[in-house]
Amino acid sequence: MSHRHSIFCILPPHILQEIARRGSLAQRDLAIRNLTISAEVRGYRQGLAVTAAKLDVTDALAGKERIVYDAQNSSVLPGLRMRGEGDPPTDDPAVDEAFDGSGATYDLYNEVYDRDSIDSRGLRLDSTVHYQRGYDNAFWNGRQMVYGDGDEDLPEADRLFNRFTIAIDIIGHELTHGVTQYEANLVYNNQPGALNESISDVFGILVKQRSLGQSARNANWIVGEGLLTSNVNGVGLRSMKAPGTAYNDPVLGSDPQPGHMDDYKSVPYDNGGVHINSGIPNRAFYLVAYELDGLAWEKAGRIWYDTLTNRLTATSNFQAAANATFAAAKQLFGQGSLEQQAVQMGWSEVGILVEDTGNDNPPPPPEEPPEEPQGCLPTVKSLLGF
Amino acid sequence: MRIYFERSGGFLGKPVTCTVDTESLPADEAAALQEMVAAASFFELRETAPQGRDQFQYKVVVEAAQVKYTVETTDTAAPDSLQPLLRKLTLMTRSTKFSS
Repeated sequence: MSHRHSIFCILPPHILQEIARRGSLAQRDLAIRNLTISAEVRGYRQGLAVTAAKLDVTDALAGKERIVYDAQNSSVLPGLRMRGEGDPPTDDPAVDEAFDGSGATYDLYNEVYDRDSIDSRGLRLDSTVHYQRGYDNAFWNGRQMVYGDGDEDLPEADRLFNRFTIAIDIIGHELTHGVTQYEANLVYNNQPGALNESISDVFGILVKQRSLGQSARNANWIVGEGLLTSNVNGVGLRSMKAPGTAYNDPVLGSDPQPGHMDDYKSVPYDNGGVHINSGIPNRAFYLVAYELDGLAWEKAGRIWYDTLTNRLTATSNFQAAANATFAAAKQLFGQGSLEQQAVQMGWSEVGILVEDTGNDNPPPPPEEPPEEPQGCLPTVKSLLGF
Repeated sequence: MRIYFERSGGFLGKPVTCTVDTESLPADEAAALQEMVAAASFFELRETAPQGRDQFQYKVVVEAAQVKYTVETTDTAAPDSLQPLLRKLTLMTRSTKFSS
């Protein structure tokens, strides 16, 4: 942690807001970040009541605000600022894909679900591209999205992965980890972890389908399409329609995802198989969306969004998620509606029988605060007397 | 020197492993690996807790001179000095000669 972070951490919000408005670019970045963290701390302390202080912060931050940085093949985050809101496209595809993809994700949440960014209070969307060398991955570090360039360090004939910004659903996936962090905050192990992963796949694929104008029945439901090079026998990283069929390659191996509870894999790696067993709830979502036809984000997506934001808790398992989507469908579309029947069918097809808990009302918000973003939060908390 | 390497997690989630005995490698490759282990100050590294979402998780076990040392780490927790070794071992998992 740099010394500059500590300085900003001890400044009161009104000073930080001034810096956010008038400071240099670097100062603005740090001030906005610390304002956001401070707002979170106040949010925990004062409950869910909307306070004047929080409104001030929201006013300063609300709306679509994106910045894309370049790690220049290092591990340093966030890196060099390359493009911000209102800036023209660059000549770097990774930068522009990260910018456009985070914009499309913001738009899905904002225009369809009336949510202002990942924290619902306009948190700026930061992305870093060109992370390390030969980095075959993308991740959410608790505060921002990070993308590698795939196997760019190898001769073309040996490459398995392209750059990770190439698939817009991966961008939606990573951003949704942020949304989940601020909402249900599902723990990253076993079934709650696999639900966490599945929810990221669900909203990631909705970003993709919405950007392409595809209906549920016209979409291919492939996550990470275009990410594998032509050297690999595969169509993408995961199939929500048919988990376990996305790739089967001599070097990469075969897609390990199950699509039914009978094939659930209890494994000692990947936090209990969070990227593996996510195939089960993924397929349930696909089946619901396919049954309802039309645009998946409008009905199935709305049921899942209501479930994520109002009904799941940190330790919810697949059964709890199934029950919660059933209750959400009832509240949104009515008891016995086609939507509610579709939800019941979707989960049943993957081996989970929905239980009508009779609980139409969402559970109260958790008493524990969500996982804290990394940074200077301890300093801020100590100043507030935590 | 013997190295066992395991990488799991990541967006893909598919685990990969390899086992390498430097005595079975050509001299220049063995020397390069040993240099990467030394450059990382491997035997002084501490274990780190998993962080974030979709990050790779690594487990590296090195046996040399009757010492066996295990490091478990993640992308953002691993020091830069360890990155070349992690990349090299990741690529070795793609070879049937080393993958397990």
